Amino acid sequence: MTRQAHCQTVSLKVLNLNWKSHTPPVDSSSCPLPSLHSTLRRILRNCSTAATGSSLQPPDVPRLAETARISLTPIEVEEFTPKIRQVIDWFGQLQDVELQSVEPALRADTEAYNLREDTPETFENREAMVSGVPSYEEPYIKVPKVLSKE
Amino acid sequence: MASLLFRGILIHPPLLNSSNALFSRKACAYYCRMRTITRAQVATQVNQPPQLKYPPNARNNGLEILLKDYETIIGIETHVQLSTLTKAFCSCPYNYGSPPNTSVCPVCMGLPGALPVLNSKVIEAAVRLGLALNCELSFNSKFDRKQYFYPDLPKGYQISQFDIPIARAGYIDLDLPVEFGGGQRRFGITRVHMEEDAGKLLHSGNGNYSQVDLNRAGVPLLEVVSEPDMRNGIEAAEYAAELQRLVRYLGVSNGNMQEGSLRCDVNISVRPLGQSQFGTKVEIKNLNSFSSVNRAIDYEISRQVLLLSQGQGDQIVQETRLWEEGSQKTVTMRKKEGLSDYRYFPEPDLPEVVLTEGYVNKIRGSLPELPEMKRRRYEGMGLSMQDVLFLANDVKVADFFDAAIAKGAEVKLAANWIMGDIAAHMKNEKLSIDEIKLTPHELAELIAAIKGGTISGKIGKEILFELMAKGGTVKKLIEEKDLVQITDPTEIEKIIDKVLLDNPKQLEQYRGGKTKLQGYFAGQVMKATKGKANPGLLNKILLEKLNAKSS
Repeated sequence: MTRQAHCQTVSLKVLNLNWKSHTPPVDSSSCPLPSLHSTLRRILRNCSTAATGSSLQPPDVPRLAETARISLTPIEVEEFTPKIRQVIDWFGQLQDVELQSVEPALRADTEAYNLREDTPETFENREAMVSGVPSYEEPYIKVPKVLSKE
Repeated sequence: MASLLFRGILIHPPLLNSSNALFSRKACAYYCRMRTITRAQVATQVNQPPQLKYPPNARNNGLEILLKDYETIIGIETHVQLSTLTKAFCSCPYNYGSPPNTSVCPVCMGLPGALPVLNSKVIEAAVRLGLALNCELSFNSKFDRKQYFYPDLPKGYQISQFDIPIARAGYIDLDLPVEFGGGQRRFGITRVHMEEDAGKLLHSGNGNYSQVDLNRAGVPLLEVVSEPDMRNGIEAAEYAAELQRLVRYLGVSNGNMQEGSLRCDVNISVRPLGQSQFGTKVEIKNLNSFSSVNRAIDYEISRQVLLLSQGQGDQIVQETRLWEEGSQKTVTMRKKEGLSDYRYFPEPDLPEVVLTEGYVNKIRGSLPELPEMKRRRYEGMGLSMQDVLFLANDVKVADFFDAAIAKGAEVKLAANWIMGDIAAHMKNEKLSIDEIKLTPHELAELIAAIKGGTISGKIGKEILFELMAKGGTVKKLIEEKDLVQITDPTEIEKIIDKVLLDNPKQLEQYRGGKTKLQGYFAGQVMKATKGKANPGLLNKILLEKLNAKSS
């Protein structure tokens, strides 16, 4: 996946996290992901060049909203496009990191992997889950008629 | 046994001679374009020109002529549902046929805050299959989120592996069934990766709502993607059958297409011979058996060839079609508008999957003898391909056969018994070979007893039936029922004399020219000895007596 697409997806997720307040975290000190934030700071400190940012494609907000199944009015699209763009550009600072001599990492984990034994366990509170389903018609979950996959 | 339907051949009498020429030319066209096999292991490659008896289908002769000008490229994506006790990312058990929505928990229902934890057996199964398919394993791989919205996908994404599958670049060797011309094939495997299954979506009768059962959501799957190496329906169907054989041999899945534990989607494109550009790719879904795979491909090839030959190639669009078992044709599913954007990104809730040399070697060492190796070994024993394919098809039958051989049974005889009377019994009683009461040891004993002359072949068959149904030992049965063959010529002679004496009328008729009555006398002797007379000796002495007396 391209870095840009990744940035866009992550920024939309960040946006979702702050949906109620309607203010995307432009100011890095209010970033809800402290560990990511400090990692980025560290990377940026080691960067020789200053962050530029605008070499990334502008976000196609209507399409993003469609794929995330979030409905936006045209006014909201206009309002959010620059804000989303700011988030993307903020992540876009990563583009300036010199990576020529760095091995690509699959993941940013530090911990070893966490596996589970193949032993069955029945979840003891099925009723609570089922009662949380908005439209449940024993024994199925009732959903609107679906014609085809996305 | 791969249940390939063998349909009657439509014979057009006046064209029978020309159609033979057609077959061999067509066979050349199909097989000249097969991928050259470059790996060193194919020393056993059969050198005979593949004599493909063209798959009998309701084709008219015109279509057959058209077909030889086109080449079909087929690739198959297979989803194998693993037979682990729990799901991939949570400890819910999975049992096919459980009441809906009874095997669920916050993780597989995608409730907020729930986190996936990988089942160790899933990695083991993936490595086993990857090794069995001769793949290169990725010692470091990861999971990714494949995002789309659909009611049977609780989280709104499927945990899968996108760019770094656990295994890639492998191959599978198989033998085509004897009745379709036989021959060996090697098909490439592009990749094998781990992912989770979605729930089941059911559509209600009156059509304004659908129903979801999440029992299956989160069940581990291995997706096997083949290289587009298959060229016709037979090859595709046999590839699927061999995958089924393989997963059953390995014990990673029960591979039942009917249950949905083995699902195949076929990708097919047709192009005129000599054209370098590939034709439009069409995907076919809803294939529930190997014969559907075969027939759906045949149908789709005909459909596309007809359109192409009439200059209507633009009517072939890239789409997904469904195979309709009832009408025996493929139909359009709703056409997709544009390609899906799954927005893959690495699954943040799951760590990297790391394999060590030690782990892989341990699994490699624990692999059973795979179907291909078994077939080559059986072939080396001198069995015919027909026998080889039957015995190696089901791992339990192969084990039974191997055990009987190990106890000293003669190879060809053991094969005959298993493929004949034993298989028939299994079919009638709907039992698998490890459920019948006969043991491999007793089969070996039976064969030895017949060979040594202790009992006759006919008595052997009767004993076999009893052994399969009730068990016991050959020795004991022979004793209890007093079945030892009579091989003393004097004793047989005595009985023959008595029979001839008791049947003067028939004797007259025999001497009068009705030589067929020898059978009648033989039957009488058998009756008198309760079937124990050695047939060979009986007939020899009987003939002597009958002919001697005609003075």
